Amino acid sequence: MEDLTAKALCHGGDWSDLYFENTVYGDLLLKDGQVTSGGLHTDFGAGIRVLSGEKTGYAYSENTEMKDMEAAARAAAVIASGSAPAAGNEGFCVNVSGPGHTGGMLYPMEHPWASAEVSALLPFLEKLQERIYALDSRAVKIIARLSYSQSDIMMFNSCGELTCDTRPLGSVTASVIFNDKGRSENKTVSRSFRCGAEMLTGEMLEEMAAEAVKGIDDRFAARRPKGGKMPVVMGAGASGILLHEAMGHAFEADFNRKGQSVFSDKMGKQVCNPGISIIDDGTLMKNRGACTFDDEGVPGQKTYMVKDGILTSYLHDRISARWYGVSPTGNGRRESFRFNPIPRMRATYMESGEASPEDIISGVSKGIYVDEFSNGQVKIGEGDFTFYVKSGYMIEGGRLGAPVKDINIIGNGPQALADITCIGNDLRIDNGTWTCGKDQSVAVSCGIPTVLVKSLTVGGE
Amino acid sequence: MCSTGAGLVTGEEVRAALHCIEYGMSHGASGIRVSLSKSVLDSFTVLNGELDKVMHSADRSLFLYIFADGRYGTFSTNNFSIPRLEDFISKALDTVKMLAPDPCRKLPDPGRKAHDAVTGQELHLYDPEYQEISPEQRLKKALDASIFRTAAADGPYTVISEECEYSDSVDDNFLADSDGFRGRHTETSYAVCSEMTIQDSGGRKLSGYWWESSPFFSGLDISGCSRTALEKAAGMIGPEKHKGGKYCMVVDRSVSSRLAAPLLSALNGAAVQQKNSFLENALGQKLFPEKLCIMDLARSDGKPGSRLYDTEGVATKDTPVIENGIVKEFFVNTYIAGKTGLQPTVDSISRPSVQPFTAQGYSSEGRKSCVSEEKEINLPRILELCGSGIYVTGFNGGNCNPVTGDFSYGIEGFAFRDGRITHPIREMVATGNMVSLWSSIIAAGSDARECTRWQIPTLAFSEVNFSA
Repeated sequence: MEDLTAKALCHGGDWSDLYFENTVYGDLLLKDGQVTSGGLHTDFGAGIRVLSGEKTGYAYSENTEMKDMEAAARAAAVIASGSAPAAGNEGFCVNVSGPGHTGGMLYPMEHPWASAEVSALLPFLEKLQERIYALDSRAVKIIARLSYSQSDIMMFNSCGELTCDTRPLGSVTASVIFNDKGRSENKTVSRSFRCGAEMLTGEMLEEMAAEAVKGIDDRFAARRPKGGKMPVVMGAGASGILLHEAMGHAFEADFNRKGQSVFSDKMGKQVCNPGISIIDDGTLMKNRGACTFDDEGVPGQKTYMVKDGILTSYLHDRISARWYGVSPTGNGRRESFRFNPIPRMRATYMESGEASPEDIISGVSKGIYVDEFSNGQVKIGEGDFTFYVKSGYMIEGGRLGAPVKDINIIGNGPQALADITCIGNDLRIDNGTWTCGKDQSVAVSCGIPTVLVKSLTVGGE
Repeated sequence: MCSTGAGLVTGEEVRAALHCIEYGMSHGASGIRVSLSKSVLDSFTVLNGELDKVMHSADRSLFLYIFADGRYGTFSTNNFSIPRLEDFISKALDTVKMLAPDPCRKLPDPGRKAHDAVTGQELHLYDPEYQEISPEQRLKKALDASIFRTAAADGPYTVISEECEYSDSVDDNFLADSDGFRGRHTETSYAVCSEMTIQDSGGRKLSGYWWESSPFFSGLDISGCSRTALEKAAGMIGPEKHKGGKYCMVVDRSVSSRLAAPLLSALNGAAVQQKNSFLENALGQKLFPEKLCIMDLARSDGKPGSRLYDTEGVATKDTPVIENGIVKEFFVNTYIAGKTGLQPTVDSISRPSVQPFTAQGYSSEGRKSCVSEEKEINLPRILELCGSGIYVTGFNGGNCNPVTGDFSYGIEGFAFRDGRITHPIREMVATGNMVSLWSSIIAAGSDARECTRWQIPTLAFSEVNFSA
């Protein structure tokens, strides 16, 4: 590996690293009442990266014979062609055992997926289906999927840092179609954890089944309301996706380094009300966004992006950390060995405040309460976002009223952040199968307490 | 034996794929399909006029679709060594045997499969020049696409950043099954994309994006890419809030596929079978205006998206999907055909093409009927036809409920009056139902972008609900 990193720097450049990955993943699909399809997949390879300042050369090989790896190293080295000789890793090496670093395993596995028998996994999906049908006779179709993977990772870089990690990930999703008097509605529930097959408990099954049928009466009764500017109360948990999309991406250091983010000139400044703290956390045990190490070998960390209303940190990989003269925050992540790492979120959430959710709702005379978002999109430069509301309620006279659906919430990230005027005491991390798709797909999670945004545009009738 | 062609898949790899079939069939499988894919991608990214990133990707994968004892499973690996493959297939067969039997899982009828995909180059989507392209040429393309140094003082804004990426790739697929099917598809692609971020005089950042692509190096036109991205960003300076209401909606050809996607997804047999489609009972029904015609032009020579066979090896054909407003086609693979009793077709649409038309008799603000036999129907013509309304140039978030067809999309674009754009708009949402929307279509342009797989032109719909 030392030879390879040296060869990668043959044309110059400042730093190089290697990323070896061996992933085994499987899936089982229940459809039309039975688990009639499934699969097993393996993926293996190694990526080589050369950095020359902020410039990146990247190549990979699906074969780890030295000649193939050397060919990849030569391809990555092109980035440094014509540059000055290697500058001795200056600014790229980090203290991997510094304060705040995890230094321990975040993904305990009692029953590793690699040794799990398919026959032992099938009953979970069958029982989940059975339970959902038992809870609501309007359920007419259920597709349930269990997917699981185990990735063995080894990283080495020209600073001489060697890091190994074993990453499990298990996910269960159930999509249910309900039919009532000829009308159809759908609902999807999911759970995902970085642990072994022990996640498939009866408790989780009951929780998922109950969530799948919860609120279906309201969903059939829901209507698209009249739109306009109004206060919006975001329910605890899954509403955190708005925090991820509308604010979190704008805190990623690559967008800020290039001046593209709306927050690129706001470091150290007040960006929202005191009392608001926003965190990106790689240290939550078993969490889908947990990182014992990121994909540059930097230990997982808990990073305050906003503390008491002040922007305190961007989310850094090694490139941006060096550029800003700070330590990397363990956010250098990638989809697989086929991709170079870039700043990515992990588990992104807002800390709890003081108010009870009931008090927040009762303080709104006319507005909307949202408990499930999807299909959010944000423009990083402008900060403008639009989120689709899958379910929610009107708030009238301080009480939840008629159920609503099929509307959008439109706003501007920094403005919405500044317009948060009340924070609940009920932070909940949502353990659904959240996947962030910034150029590459990586597993993340999100969370938020109940919060009141004093004014957002609700796109209804 | 299928030709090894001029693509990436080697004769040795073809033999490994065929060995998987033989090995699996002799160890308990009743049918096997293998899909061997290889691809190479190179990209050069320029940030603010200087090289920022170089990427080289070389992928290969072998997918195995195994049928055994009336059961079915899918498996994949990128390790092609014969002992590893044999071990992998043995494990795969063990896994399949754990699953519940399903009599509908089987290979397609041999008579439905393609017989004309031998070399992979029958559709002329492979550019022989690909082999000759050097890293220096790639870098030059990326640098030539950049306008950062000259764009800075172009208008009432500051250019914050420009990212230009040139990329080229070759994809090569060999598909074979235990019934003797052999198919090959090879294609090249060249693309340049540009993203410009600017700041207006009020400090507001705006971004614009554009891309060009072609299956052929000589067909890639990079000249206007960054300029178009810059114009898209600059065009959004000074947005005004626009009053909600019902307006004519014109959707730019660069984003109109966003509205075609839910419609075409609803025609997917799997969605229909799972009752997850708002067109569940639509086959043979006239749901849309007489003039609406959407074709699947799967066998267009030299055009992106064309293919001779689908993922099962079934032969594609040029076919109407919606004709004279009537739903003519669901996309039904062998499995779904068995489950539903529907006639099997291909598994999905290849190259959808909305045929140009303008609705006769459409009248807006005093405008009289339009001629439907117009040769060229472009954006200005459609804006003129519609008179006033909202011209959508981008979608920002939103969703279409696959079961009900109800949609709600955040949009960006411009207001227009008397056929002319007046001002950019922001914070607006278009809502409605997909069937109603397509029932209200009044024009489809003849201006679909040549470079896209989906040939969806500028579209116009009447009486669309916007809220702000």
